[in-house]
Amino acid sequence: MNLTVNGVAHEVDSAPLSTLLHVLREELGITSPKAGCEQGGCGACTVLVDGEPRRSCLTAVGAIDGAEVTTVEGLGTPEALSPVQQAFTHHYAAQCGFCTSGMLVAAEAYVRGGGTDEPEAIQEALAGHVCRCTGYVKIIDAVAAFARGEEFDLSTTAASPGMTNLGGAQ
Amino acid sequence: MTHTTEVLFPSSVDEAVSLFGDGAGVTVVAGGTIVVPEITYGRLAPARALMLSGAGLDGIEDDGAAIVVGAGTPVARLAQLADAVPGLAACALNVADGEIRGQATVGGNLCAGHGADAPRGDLQGAFVALGATARSVGAGGERSEPLEAFLDDREGRLLLDVRFERPAASAFASLDYPHTHEYTVLAVSGVRTQGGEIRLAATGLADHGRRLPSAEAAASDPERAGAAALDDVSLADDALASEWYRSRALPVLVRRVLTQLQEAS
Amino acid sequence: MKAVGARLPRYDGIEHVTGRTQFVDDVRVPGMLWAKALRSPVHSAEIKGLDVSKAEAMPGVHAVITWKDVPLLEYGHLSALGIPADEPLLARDDVRYKGQPIALVAAEDEETAAAAADAIKLDLEERTPLFDIRKAFDADAPKIHQWGNWYPHFENEMDRRQIRKGSIEEAFDKADVIVQGVYRPAAIEHVPLETQVALVVPEANGRLTIYSCTQALYFSLGVVAAHLQVPLNKLKVVGGTVGGGFGGKVDTASETMSALAARKSGRPVKWRWTREEEFLCSSTRAPWHMEIADAVTKDGWILGRKMLTLHDSGAYARFSPYGLTKHSFHHTGAYTIPNLHFDGFVVFTNRVPTTAMRGFGVTSVSFATETHMSRIAHELGLDPYEVRLRNANRIGDTSPNRIVYTDPSTVAVVKALAGGMDVELGSEYASMTRDKREGDLLPEHLVGQLADPEDH
Repeated sequence: MNLTVNGVAHEVDSAPLSTLLHVLREELGITSPKAGCEQGGCGACTVLVDGEPRRSCLTAVGAIDGAEVTTVEGLGTPEALSPVQQAFTHHYAAQCGFCTSGMLVAAEAYVRGGGTDEPEAIQEALAGHVCRCTGYVKIIDAVAAFARGEEFDLSTTAASPGMTNLGGAQ
Repeated sequence: MTHTTEVLFPSSVDEAVSLFGDGAGVTVVAGGTIVVPEITYGRLAPARALMLSGAGLDGIEDDGAAIVVGAGTPVARLAQLADAVPGLAACALNVADGEIRGQATVGGNLCAGHGADAPRGDLQGAFVALGATARSVGAGGERSEPLEAFLDDREGRLLLDVRFERPAASAFASLDYPHTHEYTVLAVSGVRTQGGEIRLAATGLADHGRRLPSAEAAASDPERAGAAALDDVSLADDALASEWYRSRALPVLVRRVLTQLQEAS
Repeated sequence: MKAVGARLPRYDGIEHVTGRTQFVDDVRVPGMLWAKALRSPVHSAEIKGLDVSKAEAMPGVHAVITWKDVPLLEYGHLSALGIPADEPLLARDDVRYKGQPIALVAAEDEETAAAAADAIKLDLEERTPLFDIRKAFDADAPKIHQWGNWYPHFENEMDRRQIRKGSIEEAFDKADVIVQGVYRPAAIEHVPLETQVALVVPEANGRLTIYSCTQALYFSLGVVAAHLQVPLNKLKVVGGTVGGGFGGKVDTASETMSALAARKSGRPVKWRWTREEEFLCSSTRAPWHMEIADAVTKDGWILGRKMLTLHDSGAYARFSPYGLTKHSFHHTGAYTIPNLHFDGFVVFTNRVPTTAMRGFGVTSVSFATETHMSRIAHELGLDPYEVRLRNANRIGDTSPNRIVYTDPSTVAVVKALAGGMDVELGSEYASMTRDKREGDLLPEHLVGQLADPEDH
């Protein structure tokens, strides 16, 4: 079986009924998709399969022979963050970070598919993704900003409104 | 993982039918959303797995009078029927979340056995209310029968498609919990046929989706119909909702669906 | 003070959005084995037999750990706080909750480890379980714990947390109404997105490197050292990002068991819980049963509170005595009640042992107290904001355990709540402050409990 993951072609050794999650993490060493529940209930394992967001824990790798898979590692790097990654960083949309990979991939698919900054539409699109830390507000803010195509300057630390800027970054 | 399983990849409907045979020892993997976690958790170790993703069983045909939905059709694609059958589309869009709907299939959803801890078969009530006919293969060859009859006796059958007549109106009401991909705790689907007949069916029952004949008989009086529905069914009792709670909700859902049908022109 | 009010980058922000954050399950070590546990299938039973030979002999299995492999089987995580050890790392004589770990298997892959765990021969004689904490005190209740059905080791070997202040009899005598309520919050699961996981690597120099999801790295270091009976310098604990803890990863035992498996097999061992294990077998926030009877005057003064608390500790003590202690200190909540009669019990049942979670001990009594304040207002026909403001903690008031309040926030918070709800308070209440009580705000019954903040 063959998979192209983040642009790199791989021959897959794992058995056809192995999950895509298992193949990515254990065979290919791509660890951004997480084993949050391994039954499709949490969204921490979501990746793009031929451009569509799918739970990698529910996907038998044999069923997607020849597919193109995109994970967070394929969206951007620390030196060159993609717009969705910048939006999440700017809006503090991650606390522990465990749900973040799935959220980013779902958000990427949502906006690529024409998703707007309407909070209800964002919630519907990300409905399968559970976060136990943030309470979702900042995640929705980040996706809305991403949908609007906002740009972010991540190098500054601006003081919050009403306070004097006391000297900037440490 | 499970290196001992023989995995088969039919590339046509005929090949799938032939490999399925009488179903003995075969585990069907359509979308995989139900079967794959069972394998992951060690509850299922298939000897032979029939992977249907490339078998051409997906597709929706609509000739204006009748609609045929292939068993391999992703649940999400039922949204295409939003104009023709809004009740079915609403039911489909209420299943899990977009990612799962894009992968799970109509056939997998209809054929899912009642889970030990999780109700399944979200679409059953909607298709039963539509009076759908199920076409299946297995021992004894091809069979077409009312969906409810198929659900009563689906051991060793491979569902190929479901067919129904385009209704004049359709409606859907469900118990919804805040967490999106709660299973269908309880749902009622309703249809008014081109001939004016009212059909009602419920999902979230003790076994599988079923018609509500007593409620149908009283359809002109939603209040009475709601109460009558309780005579038709055994309700599920599980961690999501007790039978008691479902029995309080069923009449409400029946009334809502009948009201929706009355309001639909 | 440059940081206050400034936007600061999260130190792990970039890692999180690029998938680079290393959780325990992301660590890659050559030669790693996977672990699976044999867990009790029943709520309560005596272990009559345990035979791991078939599991050990299975191809691909490198080690099976049972109680026999544990140098110090019982170690109390909070023994430094006076809570003695009561829980074996792995079950020996009996099992007291469904899911209690009995053995750990380390094998080449998860499937083999699970099959080997299934192959362990376990002989159990089931006993009648106890789930209702109210029944724990019945003479014919099943005996859950070697200490009896409730914790007996508070100071001076008391079997309860007890607070007595003033005279509850006088309060009840002088009251116009006794307002009663029973409050029973249920257990809550932490549900961190990251399930519990540990990876232990045996090093060539005899040390163990432990990758743990613990919230309390140094704490866990001590726990592992105690069970293994090794000096601290033999262990290196690598903490890092916890994928959500909320208190559920402070009493972890997974790294200890994995360490034993790593030592025995000579190979790195990873034990990653499934989501089902997390829901069924991990510790939860405790269920509580609280009975409150307040002696109240018709104008809304609370003269006294009589309270009984039962805390469901599950099968073992863990942090429950500590939680109940905090609970007792705060059982009047944000309000000053001078005459108190409080008894609290840590009760054992055949449930999964309960543990810390976000303010444990106090959240339960806050819920009960606030609901009870509203109940008082409702039963007496008084305004719920006014009842709260009248009885609110003020400077110089004392808490149940005689701490003098120097900076209480009740008045400010209640007024802010009223404002937020567009409720207009009567002028007498709108002008209230947290200043030391005097005049109408210092009735006779509150004089005795006053203290000087200077003495604090």
